[in-house]
Amino acid sequence: MTQSHTKISQYPPGDFAIWIFIYAELLVFGIFFLSYAFARSQNVELFNESQLNLNRISGAINTLILITSSYFVVRAVAAIRENKSLLCARWLLAAIVLAGAFIGIKLFEFISIYSEGISLSTNTFYMFYLSMTFFHFMHVIMGMVILIAVMLKAKQGGYSNEDHTGVETGASYWHMVDLVWIILFPLVYVMR
Amino acid sequence: MNKTTTTKSNLRPCTWVWLTLMVLTLAVLTVGQMGLGGVTIVALLLVSTLVKTHIVADYFMGLKQGRLLWRMIIIVYLWIIVSMIGLAYWLGIS
Repeated sequence: MTQSHTKISQYPPGDFAIWIFIYAELLVFGIFFLSYAFARSQNVELFNESQLNLNRISGAINTLILITSSYFVVRAVAAIRENKSLLCARWLLAAIVLAGAFIGIKLFEFISIYSEGISLSTNTFYMFYLSMTFFHFMHVIMGMVILIAVMLKAKQGGYSNEDHTGVETGASYWHMVDLVWIILFPLVYVMR
Repeated sequence: MNKTTTTKSNLRPCTWVWLTLMVLTLAVLTVGQMGLGGVTIVALLLVSTLVKTHIVADYFMGLKQGRLLWRMIIIVYLWIIVSMIGLAYWLGIS
């Protein structure tokens, strides 16, 4: 094992700076989750009643989409470790298409809610639901932009099996977006 | 063992993780569609969330292969968040 290899295993995959960002983001989402849960404990009936109005099926489909997209990113990282740039770009493209599907379904959900006259000020449940899911939605868009940039560079042969920190950095961020949604979905759409 | 074999053997657990995540998500959806609630159901949902996030961190994010410190930050975070959510739901029920 070379010295550089030992150094890589000392740190999480990708650029270390992204991990500081990931931990900070997890902290912010964590505050959101706990605020929601403790606000609910003060008004269980309102939260349970409002939750029934959400489209659980689209929430579950979006969960399956993000999980699969995350898996495609895992495949992209595996491809570049084998020095297969084009294959890496193709897996990333598949992940980006799924991210686009997530955004489409979420937009549909936002429009449906908005057309019912529901807004942030409707009640505490919707204030949390709209702010948390919109905050996550913005992270999906940012993750998509990162994956597109990584895909374009991979397509041009900008990464190799020796140098693919950029791919791992983008992948780590995307998995964080997935991980947060895995907590958000049961919390907001299902638990009662 | 050459690099290709190593990558393939690393991919296999990730494929199982993906399938597990899909099955657990469908189970969560089923619980939601049946309108189930209460302490036991919330506890099961939280355990399922903990399992899902653990395996995403370990296998997808690759933290299992790195230094324990970076993995522990996420693991401790997940346990605190899930436990506190459980406490808040318990307070709501009681």
